[in-house]
Amino acid sequence: MDLAQAIAQPSVDWHALSPDIVLAAAACMVLIADLFLPEESKWLAMPLSAAGILGTLAAVVSLAGEHRTTLGGAVEIDTFALVFKGLFCVIGLIVLAMSFGYFRSGRYYQGEYYFLMLCSLLGGVVISSARELVTLFIALELISIPAIIMTALRKADVKSNEAALKFFLFSVLSTAVMLYGMSLVYGITGSTKLDEIRSSIASSADEPLVVLSVIFVVIGFAFKISAVPFHFWAPDTYEGAPSPVAAFLSTASKIGGFVGLLVLMFRAFPEVADTWRPAFAVLATLTMTVGNLIALRQQHIIRLLAYSGIAQSGYVLVTLALIDPSRPEANAQALESAIVYLVIYGIMDLGAFAAAVAFARKTGTYFLSDYAGLWRRSPVLATLMAGFLLSLAGTPPMAGAWAKLFVFAAAINSEVYWLAAVMGVNAVIAAWYYLAVVKRMFLDSPEVDEPIEVPYLLRATMGVAAFALLAVFIYPAFITSLADRSLL
Amino acid sequence: MSVPPGYYLALAGLMFSVGVVGALTRRNAIVIFMFIELMLNAINLIFVTFSRMWGHVDGQILVFFVLVVAAAEVVVGLAIILVISRRRGTANVDDVSLLKW
Amino acid sequence: MPDSGVFEYLAAGLRGAVSRTNALPNCAFCVLVFGLSATLSYPRGSPRSCSHIATSGAVPAVPRDYFSQYITIGIFVLVGLGLVGVTLQLARLVRPNVPTREKYTTYESGIDPIGRGWTQTNVRYYIFALLFVIFDVEAVFLFPWAIVFERLGTQAFIEMLIFIAILAFALLYAIRKKMLEWL
Repeated sequence: MDLAQAIAQPSVDWHALSPDIVLAAAACMVLIADLFLPEESKWLAMPLSAAGILGTLAAVVSLAGEHRTTLGGAVEIDTFALVFKGLFCVIGLIVLAMSFGYFRSGRYYQGEYYFLMLCSLLGGVVISSARELVTLFIALELISIPAIIMTALRKADVKSNEAALKFFLFSVLSTAVMLYGMSLVYGITGSTKLDEIRSSIASSADEPLVVLSVIFVVIGFAFKISAVPFHFWAPDTYEGAPSPVAAFLSTASKIGGFVGLLVLMFRAFPEVADTWRPAFAVLATLTMTVGNLIALRQQHIIRLLAYSGIAQSGYVLVTLALIDPSRPEANAQALESAIVYLVIYGIMDLGAFAAAVAFARKTGTYFLSDYAGLWRRSPVLATLMAGFLLSLAGTPPMAGAWAKLFVFAAAINSEVYWLAAVMGVNAVIAAWYYLAVVKRMFLDSPEVDEPIEVPYLLRATMGVAAFALLAVFIYPAFITSLADRSLL
Repeated sequence: MSVPPGYYLALAGLMFSVGVVGALTRRNAIVIFMFIELMLNAINLIFVTFSRMWGHVDGQILVFFVLVVAAAEVVVGLAIILVISRRRGTANVDDVSLLKW
Repeated sequence: MPDSGVFEYLAAGLRGAVSRTNALPNCAFCVLVFGLSATLSYPRGSPRSCSHIATSGAVPAVPRDYFSQYITIGIFVLVGLGLVGVTLQLARLVRPNVPTREKYTTYESGIDPIGRGWTQTNVRYYIFALLFVIFDVEAVFLFPWAIVFERLGTQAFIEMLIFIAILAFALLYAIRKKMLEWL
């Protein structure tokens, strides 16, 4: 059945679409509520958005264990889709908690911000279950276009404007390149469904056009996930954007890109894996190494997190360089480790951003030198920040250790030893700059002794996130059992 | 009499290349933006050509979506460029360089 | 005696157009949609050929279907132009004609025109331009829907209502934010 027919004679499984519909309805509600709320109670948009996301989460849970396809195969609900839908909801809740104080005090466009965030989140929720090129493309754009506006939200701030312009130009350029690849894929296979693409692309694996098209798609996605050498926009954009938005970009937007990439590579192009696997190996090596080396020199916490986020993308890219359909076991392990990594990365990166936001709320500074002696000014914040940084560094006792270990094990299992070695070296470099911050917080003496109060909402959110990371470290089956079942 | 699809694809490839080169070498944000639109139009042409070649309309449906996304991007992009040019009096991307490294 | 081929062509095209008009619903909007569908349905026998055209049946054999469709459009254009011209001329017959100097000056919202016609547009128009772009492009989805919605039934109708409602929210936003008021 081709797409036109699927649209013309739809038999829609509404339950399968319920998470997306609930979130879309919530976004519209927030927009309208904001229009009619008086200025002093605009903050109500935040609890309303939280309710919407919780509703979405409930819809996701109600689908647990199901396997459904609808809209002519364009949308497929399986464990993979549900895990990522759930992850996007959790990310949305944490970002809401971070944004609340920030946007309420700053006299920004509160209602618009929450509306845009829900829209962007909707993109993430849709892309998790999209198994067709049009849906994939629309979902990806739905993530980035509201994110661009969110970046530009501080209209009076030249840095915010500049960040938005850079993000915008790179995003549009990457879209165009990706679409060019997609158009060629469509031309070669005559279908936009990933499964049909997979079966018909296998016969023309050696054609240069296939290689060209896949490479174009990969480059387009490489911009979105800020892989080196397509990463230039990311640190500038994160620094210029309002910091909760930066947190959103470095998690939701990036994970959205990765979900699209995983779906495409595992579902549509595995038969031609031989042609693009080396590209991913090179991309992963460059991304890890360059990201970590530049992060060593950063003095600004947001930029540090931006470059560390780039390096973290590199680790996930390693899993994509391991895809090999002729060895189903290694293939499945690669996917599993990618899922585990993305889930854990989402939580720990957001946690670190939240700690930076909490610190900046009281002190107004983002510079690492000001973190000296944080332990004496606010033991809670210092402990939480240290926990998230340790997790990012991949050291026990946080879940980040398992994330790195799984990817490492997958590389060893697929007998790609050199990539595993590169990863190991990079983990050591990365540990250096994360631990330097931790050392500064605990061992150096502060310049000012004024204690730092952390808002309750933020404190609770960070506490839950840190606890979750700790729990996953102690009992990793929380996530691995889910990842185990999410095969594409 | 019909034009073979290869011609359309060549034209689209040419348009896309012009777009890429222009987007990378020009300095005015609006002009960069116009080149990117040129790239998107080249893609639309490819979709329509292939859609015709395969004898179904999937590609044409894709074109609709590309059009809509391009329109949304135009709106967002122009708004950002306008804000910048109001503040700075310029739409030159070289002047927009506060954030580095 | 001119070559009769051209006339035959035109006549056949007309016949095609008329035979099709019978299959049309009597509503101005559908006439518009029909004009679009006629162009879209090239080449003949494409999978999306719409039900209106399928019922028209007797397509003249002499000119190919493809060209007859252009002739249809041509006739539409001619009739459209003719209507405008005829009504203008009809008005001339009944109206009084008393020219004065003021009546010959260029009319611009009741104000005497100042400066040249080729001036920079006020930047405030950009917001309207942006709104226009969005709503204009969304109409792209209405056309295919309008062509087939009879076949799709209520569900498609409700879906399109939801789609338009979401667009209406955007318009409502623009109104509430006083974007449509001239400051």
